[in-house]
Amino acid sequence: MREVFDPAHADLRIAYLDARQRTPSRLARAGLRILYAARVLLLALDCGRVVFAATLAFHRSRPPDDRHPQEPFTMLLYYARHALRLLVREPGFTIAAVLTLALGVGANVAVFAVVEAVLLRPLPFADADRLAIVKHRDQRTGFTKQDVAMGDFVDLAARQSVFESMAGYGSGQGLMFGLGDPFRVSTLGAGPGLLDTLRVRPVLGRLLQPDDSRPDAAPVVVLGYELWQSRFGSDPNIVGRGVKLGPRERQVVGVAQEGFRFPPAAAVDVIVPMAVPATAPAERKSGWPYAVARLKPGTSIEDANANLAILSTALQREYPRSNQGSEYFALPLRDAVVGDTKPALLLLLAAVGVVLLIACANVANLMVARSLARRREMAVRMALGAGRGQLVAQLLAESLMLALAAGCAGALVAIWGVPGLVALLPASVAAPGLADVRIDGSVLAFTLGVSVATALLFGLVAALTVKRESAAGALVAPGRVTMSRTARRATSALVVVEIALAIVLLVGAGLILRSFVRLLAVDPGFRAERVMTMGIAVPSDRYKDADSRRAFYDRASAALRALPDVRDVGTAVVMPLTGNNWTVGFERVEQPVAAGARPPEVGWQVASGGYFRALQIPLVAGRLFDETDTPHTRPVVIISEAVQRRFFPHESAIGRLIQSGDGPAEIVGVVGNIRRADLRDEPRADLYFPAERGPGNQMTLFVGTTADPAGVLPSLQAALRAIEPSIAFLEARTLSDVAAASMQVTQLALWLLGLFAVISISLAAVGIYGVMSYVVRQRTREIGTRVALGATGRDIAWLVMRQGAAIAACGTVLGLAASLVASRSLAAILFGVSTSDPATLAVSAGALIAATVAACYGPARRAVRVDPARTLADQ
Amino acid sequence: MRKPRLPEVTHLQFLVLAVLQGGEQPGRTVRKAIGHYGVRRTAAAFYQMMARLERDGLVEGWYDQITIGDQAVTERRYRVTPAGARAWEETRAFYENAGLAVARERWSDA
Repeated sequence: MREVFDPAHADLRIAYLDARQRTPSRLARAGLRILYAARVLLLALDCGRVVFAATLAFHRSRPPDDRHPQEPFTMLLYYARHALRLLVREPGFTIAAVLTLALGVGANVAVFAVVEAVLLRPLPFADADRLAIVKHRDQRTGFTKQDVAMGDFVDLAARQSVFESMAGYGSGQGLMFGLGDPFRVSTLGAGPGLLDTLRVRPVLGRLLQPDDSRPDAAPVVVLGYELWQSRFGSDPNIVGRGVKLGPRERQVVGVAQEGFRFPPAAAVDVIVPMAVPATAPAERKSGWPYAVARLKPGTSIEDANANLAILSTALQREYPRSNQGSEYFALPLRDAVVGDTKPALLLLLAAVGVVLLIACANVANLMVARSLARRREMAVRMALGAGRGQLVAQLLAESLMLALAAGCAGALVAIWGVPGLVALLPASVAAPGLADVRIDGSVLAFTLGVSVATALLFGLVAALTVKRESAAGALVAPGRVTMSRTARRATSALVVVEIALAIVLLVGAGLILRSFVRLLAVDPGFRAERVMTMGIAVPSDRYKDADSRRAFYDRASAALRALPDVRDVGTAVVMPLTGNNWTVGFERVEQPVAAGARPPEVGWQVASGGYFRALQIPLVAGRLFDETDTPHTRPVVIISEAVQRRFFPHESAIGRLIQSGDGPAEIVGVVGNIRRADLRDEPRADLYFPAERGPGNQMTLFVGTTADPAGVLPSLQAALRAIEPSIAFLEARTLSDVAAASMQVTQLALWLLGLFAVISISLAAVGIYGVMSYVVRQRTREIGTRVALGATGRDIAWLVMRQGAAIAACGTVLGLAASLVASRSLAAILFGVSTSDPATLAVSAGALIAATVAACYGPARRAVRVDPARTLADQ
Repeated sequence: MRKPRLPEVTHLQFLVLAVLQGGEQPGRTVRKAIGHYGVRRTAAAFYQMMARLERDGLVEGWYDQITIGDQAVTERRYRVTPAGARAWEETRAFYENAGLAVARERWSDA
């Protein structure tokens, strides 16, 4: 099969990539992709046909005497043909079963395609499984961050014994000039040895060398392959040319290999050398590079962590003031990059697995009911000498045919579902491979595997109900054949399982819904509505010192405030609700921490007075930063209420002095607490430094508006460009969008689990409807007799409902127990609600019981209408 | 005179071998080339035939990586083996010589 599929698939892929290159429109590209996926599916089917035809031709080419009637291939052909004929003869059953299974298989394949792209596909580096990210954990708060203090980085790199190499890097944005309008580029600052650690190769020129990172080295740059193609037209003579990046002219020394991205989900337009000192600087907590390392061959991540733990303890002992409670640990690169997405994806995979199980249970029920109707056929076969094995094989062949048809339909469902699923994933899920989710060989193999497993699962249940001893009875009185006790129990058990599984999904969706509602109700401490945030950068050669930058921001603020619809304008460095955990030590001047002890940490932010007004963060005491705070006045800070409570519990903080980088700084104001990193975060103690004293070249503007903030954006940009024509605009988003983005993972889980829960509860209702309909049909004579003996309609309805209620009760109890265990896996996504929330459990059980009652209503009505005269006459 | 033997390759295989006489080619080029002679085969059927030719030792196939845009694709390339070249030559000679000779003979059913 591979010898046919692989080259043919390569041809398809070449044609697709060729067409994609010639198509600029994103919509058309999406269309091409869907077309490609459909063609791959057709190709797989065609390959199956061709290989089967070749095998058949070979089989037929042998003289009939050579072929034994019982040899596997002959039997297989026989069973397959027979099964197909039967399925075609009963289109209603076939379509119902195939559609039910296709839904389950399709959802599984779509989610698996995403899992394959994000979690299973190798990262695009040589020996990527030996790459690890070194991270920092504060033992006192439990917060982790990727930034490593430069002093610690230098010492760790020098002392460690588990890594082949360890290199620092930094990611950022820069502006490139000289090719028309200045444009934004993603920069990777590469410490010495980074590109060797990642095993990157140049396609042109050379990569960076350790000497390039020396402070006195000539400024150089390596271009990313994609930037070289798009902006420099793949110029083969680019090496040696100068480009202006930010304030500096840099010489291009090479072009990196195609597709190089680091971190793996981030685009790299240019790579510039990053200086790393040879010995640890006196100010250990500075620099803040990220660190990536390559494990020595044969060394595990546990070994690395043991080594880093020893080094962390040594550093704590040597530098208690800066390192007390500081711990370093290594995380495999994939885990570091995939982050929170991994449990969410595995959760989804489990949820769609449950949907498939429910679909299987439903189809198994259909098969059992159908096998009952075929009792006579089976009996005739047995009477003619067919063994039980042959009948089971026949039933299995039928289920296999059904499952394969469902697999094909499911693959189509997946081809349509994958782009939708990827579009649903929040932008904050920056996982490598997400941009390239496709239905490829491994996904198709998964589809085939799931389909066959499905067939075995529901086929076996049906096959197990085949019984030998009833054959004679079936032949003598075909009308009276009833389900054997085993079969009856099997179908009821299947429905119980369906209900239990549906409850698990329902409880999961319910818990997430409650979390989402709680998140929406959280007060972040500021108003996100009607605030526009926009990153701006001014050329650093024109705005060299703090005074010139301050003058620019003053003029810009005044111009923006003069615009209609603008309420207030402020600047800040840290964007709220984006997970930022930057902290700074807090130490009162009059109460210094003991020598050798590390001061407690509080959140760090640089903001202007306008920032508090734009976000409507309330001023509790003192004043906000204003025009009197300049680069030349004494340092001042603002604290949040949490700082006041923690460090000044019984006194006013205003006027007190704290230690800061610039010397003692006076606390001039106290503002309300905000949830800075995340809505799930507790309101934190934050320390604000005035942006007025030293604004940077890049800042984020927060503009409070009285109208729709997105509508105001063009006039904001026009006003700023009028002041500084060479200003560059970075990302612009409304603060409401930022807040919404921080809830996207919860929202996604809510959507998908909700969808799966609705599907599963519908399937469970269909299942119970089928079983109860069958029960009513079976008990028609009994019901007729009861009515004849004086039973009322109510009695009869209760008789049916009671049986349905018993099944529903068993399923509900089992499901609630299972969901208590299963919902623990949701703990990371939940907010403000316990995994065993009684209200959610009760509502889910209630919803399922309601669905069950509704499903029993039809059969019960039919039972009530049974005419005793007719049924008794039939008897 | 040696008795002429019927050729062992089919006309389709003959066409494929003819295309590869000019040098190695990727499979898709071979498929396109025989398409000019009215041979329409699905990709699966075509590569099934190529696999058969490989098994019979008439052609040799291997995978080669090419790059399109930013994506690498491994395509299958083929070249004719000495046995394949011989089979093609014998078939060509058969139709040219034996075929003509048959036409020139006077045949009767007596």
